[in-house]
Amino acid sequence: MKTNLIVILLSSLFCLPAAAETIQVTTRENAIRSDCRFFAPVKLKVALGDPLTVKGRKGDWYLVSAKGVSGCIHKSAVESRSFSSAGRKASAGGASADEVSLAGKGFNPQVEAGYRTSGKSLNYAAVDEIVKYSVGEKSLETFVLQGGLVQP
Amino acid sequence: MIPNRSLQNVCHPGLILLAMLALSGCKVSDLTPERISAITSSVQSIGKAARPMGEDEEYYVGRAVAARITSTYPLYRNARLTEYVNLIGQTIALHTDKPTTFGGYHFALLDSPEVNAFACPGGIILVTRGMLDSVKGEDELAAVLAHEIGHIIHRDGIAAIQSSRWSEALLVIGSNAAREFGPKDTAKLVSLFEGSIDDVFKTLVVNGYGREQEKAADAAALAYLAAAGYDPQGLTGYLNRLEQGGKGSKSGIFTTHPGTEERLEHVRQTAVTSVDTSAVPKRSRRFADMTR
Repeated sequence: MKTNLIVILLSSLFCLPAAAETIQVTTRENAIRSDCRFFAPVKLKVALGDPLTVKGRKGDWYLVSAKGVSGCIHKSAVESRSFSSAGRKASAGGASADEVSLAGKGFNPQVEAGYRTSGKSLNYAAVDEIVKYSVGEKSLETFVLQGGLVQP
Repeated sequence: MIPNRSLQNVCHPGLILLAMLALSGCKVSDLTPERISAITSSVQSIGKAARPMGEDEEYYVGRAVAARITSTYPLYRNARLTEYVNLIGQTIALHTDKPTTFGGYHFALLDSPEVNAFACPGGIILVTRGMLDSVKGEDELAAVLAHEIGHIIHRDGIAAIQSSRWSEALLVIGSNAAREFGPKDTAKLVSLFEGSIDDVFKTLVVNGYGREQEKAADAAALAYLAAAGYDPQGLTGYLNRLEQGGKGSKSGIFTTHPGTEERLEHVRQTAVTSVDTSAVPKRSRRFADMTR
């Protein structure tokens, strides 16, 4: 009787439907792709803080779904990382909503705006020009191919 | 790093819980579910306050550092070369363990004959025209960019910030995600931000990184190059050239510790995955075509 009860309890623990894990995008913009590789067709563009439901893992990629779309997103777009005092990665894991909302509460656009008026010699126009620049994914793929490099 | 290890240890939730119980003179028998909940909440808040700098906060540090550097070295606006450097850099970045950063990787050229390159926290990498002129071939240029990407991924720029600044910033930030900063707190944060930028700028432009940071960035570069299909020997070639060109120079990239000779020795001793080098001549022709 006692043994049966333990078996039932253990079974119920393992058979409980696992709550769907939700993670958030930790980069300004990113994409859910049809396959778990860079250059795979983009199915949905996602942005900072967007919630994604985790369906599984495949190497460095999360299998996720959002807004009715399923696909892959690289772990570096959704994981928060902590660092040891030596500056090396100490741990990594899917970023929770709390982590995403807390991060950026310190050094943020409001602080940058204050810094811009600090009187220091700064060239933010150049910085905006730099971060606005991007190369197209197709150009990058062709560049890799023509240079005999490895497809990521 | 930020926060430093000692602060993290002190802020272990279990230790904090014990300290709070001791300080409040609370007996175990006094603990009601409500009190436990209140204490747990406080412990969680303090734990969050000891968080490291977020990647988005790092992005704003990097922007400010780049704004400082580009106020001294103007941008070299050559569309063809800018695209080329970005294509090489992005290719390497995709083969690292951090192919995506909060704001992405961005590569730009600086109009200076000085041989130098700067890795601004978060992903902005600046390379001087002098550096571009000094490398021989795409694989050597890739080695320069891979080394700088290594510094970004290792957060070496952020590590230059005095830990006391971030600890102080965390006290201002607090742990409430919904909090709006008043003018006084904003002014304090701007001041701490300014000090942080000074720390990073001084390391990047004046003092250079430390011995272990340079060696780690070199080791990472070798791995990134091999993974991307570039010849890791490009790093040896570039360092050889740097050693020849930097003899007697005490400015820019030559201020780094260890010296180029020691870096070369370390790179030679580091085991590298062998790669197919048959496409090196093709890439060298591409480089010559782009830079002519």
